[in-house]
Amino acid sequence: MTDTPDSDDVSRRTYLKLAGGAGTATFLAGCTGGGESTTESTESSGDSESTEETSGDDSDSSTEYNALEVQHWWTGGDGGAAVQALFEGFEEQHPDIELTENPVAGGAGQNLRAVIKKRILNNDPPSSWQAWPGANLQPFTDADKLEDIEESVWGHNDMKNAYLDGPQEAAQPAGNYVSVPLNIHRLNNLFYNVEVVEDAGVDPASIDSPSALVDAMATVDEAGYVGMAQQTNSAWSTGQLWAQVLLGEYGADVYADVTAGNVEANADAVRDSLDIVKQYSEYYPNDAGSISWQDANSKIIEGDAAFFHQGDWAAGMYRGQDGFEYESNWDHVPFPGTEGLYSLNMDSFPMPTNNPSPEATKAFLRYVGSVDAQERFNPKKGSIPPRTDVPQDAFGPFLQNQMDDFSNSEAQPLSIQHGLAVAPDALTAFEDAMASFISNYDVEAAYSAVQSAFQ
Amino acid sequence: MSTHILKRLLDRLRDGGPPVRTDGGTAAAGSETAGGDSDVGSALSSLRESDAVRSAPFWLPPFLLMGFFVYGAISWNIVISLTDFGGLTLPTYDPSTFDLEMYRRAFSDGQFWIATRNTFVLLISFTGLSLAGGLGLAILVDRGIRFENWFRTVYLLPFSLSFVVTAVFWRWMYNFDSGLINAFLRGIGLDFVASKWLTGSIDTGALGAIPLVPDTFYFKLFAVIFALLWQFSGYAMVVYLAGLRAIPNDQYEAARVDGASILRMYRRVILPQLRASTVSAAVVLMVFALKAFDFLYVLFGSNPGPTADILSTMMYRQAFSANEWAYGSAIAVVLFVVALTVVAPYLYGEYRRGEL
Repeated sequence: MTDTPDSDDVSRRTYLKLAGGAGTATFLAGCTGGGESTTESTESSGDSESTEETSGDDSDSSTEYNALEVQHWWTGGDGGAAVQALFEGFEEQHPDIELTENPVAGGAGQNLRAVIKKRILNNDPPSSWQAWPGANLQPFTDADKLEDIEESVWGHNDMKNAYLDGPQEAAQPAGNYVSVPLNIHRLNNLFYNVEVVEDAGVDPASIDSPSALVDAMATVDEAGYVGMAQQTNSAWSTGQLWAQVLLGEYGADVYADVTAGNVEANADAVRDSLDIVKQYSEYYPNDAGSISWQDANSKIIEGDAAFFHQGDWAAGMYRGQDGFEYESNWDHVPFPGTEGLYSLNMDSFPMPTNNPSPEATKAFLRYVGSVDAQERFNPKKGSIPPRTDVPQDAFGPFLQNQMDDFSNSEAQPLSIQHGLAVAPDALTAFEDAMASFISNYDVEAAYSAVQSAFQ
Repeated sequence: MSTHILKRLLDRLRDGGPPVRTDGGTAAAGSETAGGDSDVGSALSSLRESDAVRSAPFWLPPFLLMGFFVYGAISWNIVISLTDFGGLTLPTYDPSTFDLEMYRRAFSDGQFWIATRNTFVLLISFTGLSLAGGLGLAILVDRGIRFENWFRTVYLLPFSLSFVVTAVFWRWMYNFDSGLINAFLRGIGLDFVASKWLTGSIDTGALGAIPLVPDTFYFKLFAVIFALLWQFSGYAMVVYLAGLRAIPNDQYEAARVDGASILRMYRRVILPQLRASTVSAAVVLMVFALKAFDFLYVLFGSNPGPTADILSTMMYRQAFSANEWAYGSAIAVVLFVVALTVVAPYLYGEYRRGEL
């Protein structure tokens, strides 16, 4: 066959065949490590293994602290300044510990979470990292990747007395202490523009339930303002809002029961709260679908909109705005119906197993749980300390009020949208449910999606 | 048989390439006799001196790197999709536990079908419209207009922008209150057309009874397609323009002498000759459509909602938000198969025509 005239022309195809054959052979040899040609490389890899082992021995036998590697996503703005203040404080107390920060920016922590998962799977965790506590850490505790620090960290600095129940619960995703919360952002807020609500003749303090807020927004709407400055470009703000509506209309017990997976038992509550959010959506700005939460917040600052629901990081924007002052231009009430509750969104630092620097990490976590650390970090971040014994002097008037609310709160419900109450897979399914909900506001479909997300 | 080919190949290399065939016919087999009497020893020594071996430092490293990082990664992804890998515990990779559970799960997941539908809508309408738009522009530019180069640059410019940039400013363009599109529509008195382009919908009414036409038509995906169209039709234009320039002027003249109208000339004489341009532009555009992930991610985050969710955003969410690594891999494999079905016919066609 090869002698036919056509095959005389050795085509490119033949080159490819040969090249492919040679390539595959080399590749296979490289993989199996069986051939003669790979003996050399096997030896050299053996060498490198043994050097790693010896270097590992060296570091284990040393009595000094190993270098500490802390990863976080606070790379700029309020968070960046706050975490630098935290690290400075730590270095003052522990000049003997070398601290390397290894920040991963972007995606509201999504990028860092991907890095951490990869490192944990490779059994090469950093000393500690910024993580939402609570159910967000469940995959880590399920895989036995976090260490119990009840004795070594929570036993110090009077931490167990200084932290309220909610934050302590979040530090124990599997029933034992594995993480140290550093800050709290409140979620059950309703911000408003004072001038706008006065002009419309609405008194925010008298709105006593999420459903009553609908009427207030209708009044505001008639006066020619946007009722609620909400963004629906991405789903998370709506997820947050729905959780506060459920909390405000039906209370902390129903809320906790729903997040624990008993959606069917509370079917009416879930449906009704979704329906209230649907009614709110009538009073959103026209461009809600193409703005960010900052754009939405600007509508409050510019006096175009009356109400704004968001975590209390939104107040950071007001603080940065000259001539827009707390109580005279903008003000805050707990989300209607949630007075006496302090809905938590927290950051914490967990303690991984196989820690590259166990002692230094414990020292760092003890510091994170101390008054000094939380007093340095939180005023800059615009959050409040989870410890209730931190002096209020360093905080502005708004945060001082929030701290009082926190100390006097009856319960501290864990956030859904920010991972404290539900594990990552349930959170992803919940976000899917909310993404569908904001595109069609189909209450029944959203109910069954939430139900299957939490079960 | 293979040694025979190898030997002949080496002979050919030594002879310095294929004989010139000026008439397009079969050349006389001069090399056949030239290599006939060489023995195995000389074949080996010539193997050492052959181009393939001597050029190995140039082609081998990229070959191995591609093999490992591209094809190796694809194979590994397929392996993961057969496991139950989820959470933070590594799977055992025991072949006896491999199953198609994740594919079954995907095929019974309503969200997966919604994402698949959107992926195909995006793929087909974006590619079709880009080609049509590009062809139109190319013909206009080819008509010998003034400032031709200037127009060509203007149309191609968006192609050089990153998805991140175009996504951000299309979000501004689509803003209901302050966006350029609605400002323009209001400016020319079409207030009633101005819409919430990213969240709005219209009821299709009686048309909803027709199969495949939804009851409610959401703009979101088409807002995305339109933005991508703006970015990529310039590319299709350049490809078509090259195709048009390759057609000799004589043919235009002959058609004109024969009395063909412009429309008829393009339809019967010019367009049939643009097949190759169409195919190569279509493949590139389809691959871009499958990569629309960055555009959607910048616009809406990792969850664009059911009206614009595509397979790649769903894969990202399942793998990196929900820690469902195996499920994410299975979706990635489906996406890979879709990409293959787009590219494979093209490659096969090129191969058949001897252009590969």
